[in-house]
Amino acid sequence: MKTIPDKNILLFKSCLVNVEYPGVESSTKYIFDKMGVEYFIDPNQSCCTGLGHYYDLFDQISTSALSARNFALARKSNHENIVTLCSTCYAIMKKSINLLNSNKKARDEINGILERAGLSHMKYNVGDLDSEKNVFHMVEILYSKVNEIASNIKKDFSNIRIASHHACHYCKVYPEDAITGSRNPMILDEIAAAFGAEVVDWYDFKKATCGAGFSQRFANRDLSLSATADKLMALEGKADLLLHMCPNCQMQLDRYQPVLEKELGRKLNLVHLSVAQMAALGMGADPYKVLGIQTHSVPVEGLLEKIKDI
Amino acid sequence: MNNTKSKTLETQDIINKTRATKKQDSFSTKSGERVGVFICRCGGNISDTVNIQELKSSIDANFVGEFENLCSINCRRHIREEIIDQNLDRVVIAGCSPLTHLKTFQNYADPLNPYMVEMVNIREQCSWVHSDKEKATKKAISLVQAGVEKVKKAKALSKIISRTEKSAAIFGGGISGITAALSLANQGVKVTIIEKNPTIGGFMVKIGKVFSPEKLAEECSLCILNPIINDVINHKNIKIMTKTRLLRAGRRSSYFNLILEKDTSFVHEDRCIACGKCADVCPVEVPDEWNQKMTMRKAIYKPFSQAVPDVYTIDVENCIQCGKCEKVCNMDAIDFKLKSEIISLKSGSVVIATGHESYDLTKRPEYGYGRFDDVISQLDLARILGVNGPTLGKLQKISDGKVPERVVMIQCTGSRDEKTDGKRYCSKVCCMVALKHASIIKDKYPDTEVVICYTDLRTVGMYENYLRYVQDKGIKFIRGRPGEVTKINDKLVVRVEDTLQRKPMEIETDMVVLSEAIEPSEGTMELAKKLNVGLSQDLFIKEKHSKIKPANTDVERIFVCGTAQGPKDITDSVSQANAAAAKVSEQIKCGTEAEPPVAVIKNSLCSHCGKCIEICGFKAVYRDEEYISIDPMACRGCGACAGSCPEGAIEIKGLNDQELFAQMDGLLSDKKEGEVRILAFLDNVGYTAADTIGNNRVTYPESIRIIKIPSINRLMPEHITYAFDHGADGILLAEYPDECMLEAHKAKIQELSDYVASKGIASNKLRFYKAYAPHFRGLAKQFENFNQDMLAEKGK
Repeated sequence: MKTIPDKNILLFKSCLVNVEYPGVESSTKYIFDKMGVEYFIDPNQSCCTGLGHYYDLFDQISTSALSARNFALARKSNHENIVTLCSTCYAIMKKSINLLNSNKKARDEINGILERAGLSHMKYNVGDLDSEKNVFHMVEILYSKVNEIASNIKKDFSNIRIASHHACHYCKVYPEDAITGSRNPMILDEIAAAFGAEVVDWYDFKKATCGAGFSQRFANRDLSLSATADKLMALEGKADLLLHMCPNCQMQLDRYQPVLEKELGRKLNLVHLSVAQMAALGMGADPYKVLGIQTHSVPVEGLLEKIKDI
Repeated sequence: MNNTKSKTLETQDIINKTRATKKQDSFSTKSGERVGVFICRCGGNISDTVNIQELKSSIDANFVGEFENLCSINCRRHIREEIIDQNLDRVVIAGCSPLTHLKTFQNYADPLNPYMVEMVNIREQCSWVHSDKEKATKKAISLVQAGVEKVKKAKALSKIISRTEKSAAIFGGGISGITAALSLANQGVKVTIIEKNPTIGGFMVKIGKVFSPEKLAEECSLCILNPIINDVINHKNIKIMTKTRLLRAGRRSSYFNLILEKDTSFVHEDRCIACGKCADVCPVEVPDEWNQKMTMRKAIYKPFSQAVPDVYTIDVENCIQCGKCEKVCNMDAIDFKLKSEIISLKSGSVVIATGHESYDLTKRPEYGYGRFDDVISQLDLARILGVNGPTLGKLQKISDGKVPERVVMIQCTGSRDEKTDGKRYCSKVCCMVALKHASIIKDKYPDTEVVICYTDLRTVGMYENYLRYVQDKGIKFIRGRPGEVTKINDKLVVRVEDTLQRKPMEIETDMVVLSEAIEPSEGTMELAKKLNVGLSQDLFIKEKHSKIKPANTDVERIFVCGTAQGPKDITDSVSQANAAAAKVSEQIKCGTEAEPPVAVIKNSLCSHCGKCIEICGFKAVYRDEEYISIDPMACRGCGACAGSCPEGAIEIKGLNDQELFAQMDGLLSDKKEGEVRILAFLDNVGYTAADTIGNNRVTYPESIRIIKIPSINRLMPEHITYAFDHGADGILLAEYPDECMLEAHKAKIQELSDYVASKGIASNKLRFYKAYAPHFRGLAKQFENFNQDMLAEKGK
C-alpha cells in the first residue's frame, strides 16, 4: 500500500461539504484530533472548481491555474500533503499536478496567468508536488489508522448493517492509486468492519453510479433519478446505513431519497452518512454539533436510537 | 563414429565442443598482400557510366582485370587461374553489391579464405546513382582503391560451427510439451519433461472434448491425447519428472546446467501399483483441482484415473501424516521420511511449454463468481460436461442439481478489458470454447436455451464453418458485454445492452458461464526470470520475432511453444511445439554456423564487471562458471559490448580497426581542394536501402562514400576523429532502430555527439539517421541535404 501521511496535512475545504454537509468537515477534524493527525485549514484556499469543470464551465487551464495557486499555499504553510473531503477535489488535484509536472506548454500558460494576476510568487515549478505522494482522500488517512480505531470506539455498531458507496472520482479516475482497487473497492467496508458493524459487502448495483453525473442531475433528470432509485431500492431491507466518501454522492442519495419515497409511497429505512461522520459518531462525537445531522434530508435520529454506548 | 555417438548418448556430461573448421591459410601466408582486382562491366550496367579503361589503369594492385559478367560461372575459372598464376592472396571484386554476390565470389576465390575477398560496390552505389561519367569514374577509382587498401588489412577468419548437446529439457507436460518431446525423442534426442504437477497432460486432459471445425463435431480429448501420452511413457528417449521445478539455471557454451527440485510425495513411484487402498483409508478430504474443486479428494490421491505417471501421490500440504495409508500399503511404497531431491541436469536446449492459467474470476466481482453457485467458468462447465467429471457428464446446476432451462455465456471475461486487472488482449480460444460447449448442451439437452453474449465473434478461417454449424442448432447470440450478474427472486439476472438494437436488457437465467481469459502463469514468469528469457508486455514469453522466429526466445537455444507464449488453441500449440522441436533438432543435427563479425572476449583482460552483459540486447553475453562468454550464434557483431568494456577485452572479429582505417583512408586520400566528402556508415538495413536507391536509379551526390558496418555501436570516438582528421566533411551514421538494442543505440549516439562537441566540431557534421529498408528515398534525401549543407559551409 502507498505511504499515507499523518502530518503536514492541508485539509482541503470542499464547496459541497461546506454548503450541504458541513458536519463532514467537523467530523473529519474531530477524528483527526482524536488520532493525532496534524493538519491545517487554510482560509485563503480557493475552490478546486471541480463542479464548474464537470459542468463544462471552466476549462482545464483555469482549473489547474487555481490548483497551482492552492499548491503554492500548501507549500507556503509547509502543509504539502493535500487531504480532500471530496473525491472530485481529489481527482482534480491529481490531474492538475500531473499536468503541471509533465506539460510544459500548460505550465508556462498557467505561470503566465499567475504572473498577470500579480501572483508571481505562486508560480509552479516541475516537481513541486507529486500526484501520488501529495494528494490523498480523507478516507485514506482513516484507513491507514484502522488498527488504532478499536481503542477509540465508544459506540456499539454491531446491530447496524452498513453498505458502502465508493466514489467514482476516487476509484475510476486514478484506479492504480485507489487503495483496495477499483473493481471491487472495499475501503469503506473495511473501515465499517473495524467499527464492529455488520458489513453488507456486495449488493446489486454496488458499483453503479449515484446518478448525479454533475449536469445529468438537471439535464437528464429521469435517467439520473432512475440510477439513484436502482441503488436505493437494491438496498431496501438489506442495509440500515449507506456509507459515503463524496459529498456529491451523499447529496444525490440523501436529498433524492425522500423524492423517491414519495413516489413509492413508502419509507426505505436507509440513512446516509459520510465515513467521517460515522467514525466521529463511533468515537463519541455529538450528532448535531459535530456530525451536523440536522442538515440531512433523510433523518438520522432513527439510526442513532439503535446505536448504544459501549 | 558409432562409438562416439553412443558415448554422447550415454554420458550426459559430455559437452559438445565448439568446433572451428580450419581452412588452410598456408597458401596465403607465404607471399603476403598480393592483391588482385577483378572489375565487372556488368553488361554495360557499370561500363556505360564508368570508364573501365581509366579505372583499370588508375588502380594500384598486383593484378587488375576486367570482365563482362564476373558472376557468370566461367569467370570462376578466370578468378581461380589468376589467383594461382599471379600468386594472389587477396581479391577485390569491383562490381555489384556484396548483398547480391559476396557469397558467389567468396566461392569463386575458393583457394583463398573467404574473408580475403572484398567487394566494392560500383554498381548500386556508383554507376546507378551517378550520371556524370567523369565524376562516376573518379568515384569508382576511389572506391576500388579503398577496397584494395582495406583488403590488405583483412585477416583470415574461420566460420564458427557450434554443436549443441543432443538433449533437451522441456518445461511443462501439457499438449505442447508432450508434442515437442515426442518429436525430439523420435529424432533420437534425449528429452526430459519437467512438470510441476503430479501428472502430465495439462489442460487438455481436463476439458473433456475438443472442437473439430473440419468434421463439424466435438471429439473426446482424452481419446486423442491418450495414445500420445502412452507413446511418451514408453519412449526410451523420454524421461518424465513430475512435481519438479527449476531452481537455478547456468548457461554454458553448448548446454544449460539446470538445477531442479523434485518435491517429495512420500511415495516411492517405482513401488506404487496404484491399487488405491491408501486413498480408501485416508481421513483427509480437500477440494479436488481436477474437478475444479466441485468434488473432494483425499490427501493421498491419483489426480484422475488415466493419470500419468500411474501412481498415487501425497498432497504434502494437507497430509496430517497419520500413517494409515502407510500401514495399508502392501507394496511398502509410502515413506514419510522421503525428502525432496535436488537434481542436476545438463541439457543442450530448453523448451518452455509451461502453459497458462485461467483468469481469476473474482477480479470481476460484478459477475458474481464465487458469490452465486450457478455462476461458473467455461473450465468448470467443461468438467461438468465431461463424462469423467463431477456429474458424470450431466448438465446440472450446482445449487440444486436441476438441469438449467437457460444458460447464458459471457464472453471476454477478463479479456479485451482495459480496466485495472483486465487483460488487453483477446484470449483467442474462448469464442470457440463457448460454441463447443453450446453445441454439446444443445445435443444433449435440446430444451435448454443457450445465449452467448459476445463482444465480437472471432472464429477466423475454417472456424467460421463451425460457428454456422453451432448457430444452426438454435443458439442465441447477443452482441454486448454484460455489465453485471445479479440475483432477483432466486433467479440469476444478466444485465446487458444488446448493442445491435441499442437496447438494455435483463436476461433471467439458471446458469451463467463466464468465458475466462487465458493469462500468463506465475510459474512461467518465474521460469523466465531464472532462464533470463524476456517477457512480452502482457507477461507471456516473448518470441524472438513474431513473424519469422515464432518458436525462438531471445536467448539462444531456448525455445517456446503453446500458451506460455500467448493465448492459442490446441491446433496452434501443436504447430508451435513441432516448430520448436524442429528448431532444437536443427541445431543438434547440423550445428549452426556463425559468421563473423562476432565479438570475442580475451579472458586474460576481462575484469568480470558485467557491463557487456547489460548492454547486449541480443543476450549473447553471459556469465558461466568462470568466465564471461559470448555465444557466437547469438552475437551480431554490433560492437556495443566492445564499446562498453572498460578493459578493452572485447575484440570484434570480422571488421577490424585496421580495415576500417584503411577503408576510410582510401575513400578520403584522393580528395581535391574545395571538394566535399561525406562518409556514410550504414548497417545492413541502411546498406540495403542504399542499394535500393541504386536499383531505382535515384541519384545522389558523388561526395557520398558508403562504408558497411555491423552497427553504429561498432564505431568509437577514434574512428570519428580519424575520419575528420583525414578530410571527411561530414559523417552520417544510419541504422535500423532494432528494438532490443535501442538503449545501446541511444547511448552510442549520446557518446559520439558529446565527443564531437568536446572536440569543437560543429554538431551538423555528425548526423544520425534511422534507416528503414523500404524508405530508400528518405536516405537519398539525407545524402542530398547533407551534401548541400556541407557545400554551403565550404562556400562560406
